[in-house]
Amino acid sequence: MSVNEVKIKPAPVQFELRGTGPPTSRTFVIGDEDHTLGNALRHILINDARVDFAGYCVPHPSEPVVHVRVQTATGNEGAAALTATEAVKEACTTLENQCDFVLEELEKVLPEVREDREWMEQLAAEELQQAAEEEEDEED
Amino acid sequence: MPQQRFPKIEILSIAPHAISFILSETDTSMANSLRRIMIAEVPTLAIDLVEYSENSSVLNDEYIAHRLGLIPIRFVQEGSVKGGDCNLSFLPHRECVCYDRCLRCSVELELDVNFDKVNPTRPDQERDLFLTVTSKDLLSNNIYVSPAHFLNEEEQDRSHDEGISIVKLGPGQHLKFKAIARMGISKEHAKWCPVAVATYRFWPIITINEEACNMLTLEQKQELVDACPDRILELDEITGNLVAVENAYEMATFTEDLKMTQNAMKKRPEDDDFVTVEHSTDRFVFSVETTGAMDAEEVLMSALKVLKDKLTYLATEVEKLKD
Repeated sequence: MSVNEVKIKPAPVQFELRGTGPPTSRTFVIGDEDHTLGNALRHILINDARVDFAGYCVPHPSEPVVHVRVQTATGNEGAAALTATEAVKEACTTLENQCDFVLEELEKVLPEVREDREWMEQLAAEELQQAAEEEEDEED
Repeated sequence: MPQQRFPKIEILSIAPHAISFILSETDTSMANSLRRIMIAEVPTLAIDLVEYSENSSVLNDEYIAHRLGLIPIRFVQEGSVKGGDCNLSFLPHRECVCYDRCLRCSVELELDVNFDKVNPTRPDQERDLFLTVTSKDLLSNNIYVSPAHFLNEEEQDRSHDEGISIVKLGPGQHLKFKAIARMGISKEHAKWCPVAVATYRFWPIITINEEACNMLTLEQKQELVDACPDRILELDEITGNLVAVENAYEMATFTEDLKMTQNAMKKRPEDDDFVTVEHSTDRFVFSVETTGAMDAEEVLMSALKVLKDKLTYLATEVEKLKD
């Protein structure tokens, strides 16, 4: 290792779960993350009907830490209530499935579009060749 | 389960270094996350360390090292021709178990140019000119990795040099070094950024109130068409009605001009607007242009995979805590 190597300092917290009391309200402290993950997770959590409150914040822009707060319905169902950690796990799975779906869509569309483009390029090359031949003929 | 949405992708135009597509049936947060990842967190290769043997050129070591870092490095998968994703083929060097460096985590590029040795081989009329050391002179030890010299054929034809120029040498000057390229992300240094441009705009929803428009004269309709600097409206030749231009999504910038002109035209302030232009909340027009290191669709796919990896990591961490 060279003496001039840059050592990246890890975030102050890697991953932490904060919150006492019933397991339906928790704050997830995630290190080395920013709005990229925070906003996406928050949006998915909000769209879950069983979640009462979901929000995220970046406590200080100089530190790469995100706080995600989740509070699920303290329902009348008792044992069937959703815990905060389960809500977050389901949100992760949902977003992963969305990404997988988009990747598949992309793969499906790409071969067609790619062939399209190559065909256009071939056409253009043929036109250029024809134009060059016509010029030669005219010169003769 | 949270409501699952099924995003759609429509590709508008595609070239090796640029892609323009429409992402729909998803939210701004996903579109923004995708954009942020494309800019900041897609791993690429770039020169990270330079070991000099000789440098008698006019630029000092660190200046040249800075320039070398910014050269886009292209990784081509075996059996492919496009600039591909290097994420699975290389390890981040901080995680590699080797002592200093190895083939798994880094690529060595060597350069050895001596003006006095090269000059006799140049054509006569060029012998008095300075010798430009370009990215073509960098020789890599990995056949799948090499610098991206040009973006496309046009740029190559326009350029005076044979690659990205690094430094110019004169008589008696010699440059010799070994550069080590490693994988990294743009968050650490902008040299690892795979894209030059990664933006998205909102799809414009243009609603034209037919009843209200029928009460307008032709001059008034022409005034509305002219009011908008983006020219997203036009008058239909046959019927004389106000109609949105076909490629309105390319030009719409959501200015206030239309609204203000309409307020002046309305008989009473509470009347409905004749034309409204709004942002769509779930349709986005993306435009991605790369630096030449990766192909545009590879950047997009890599960004999606990076997002998935983040979520998998988070899910495992949460699982561990539960236990």
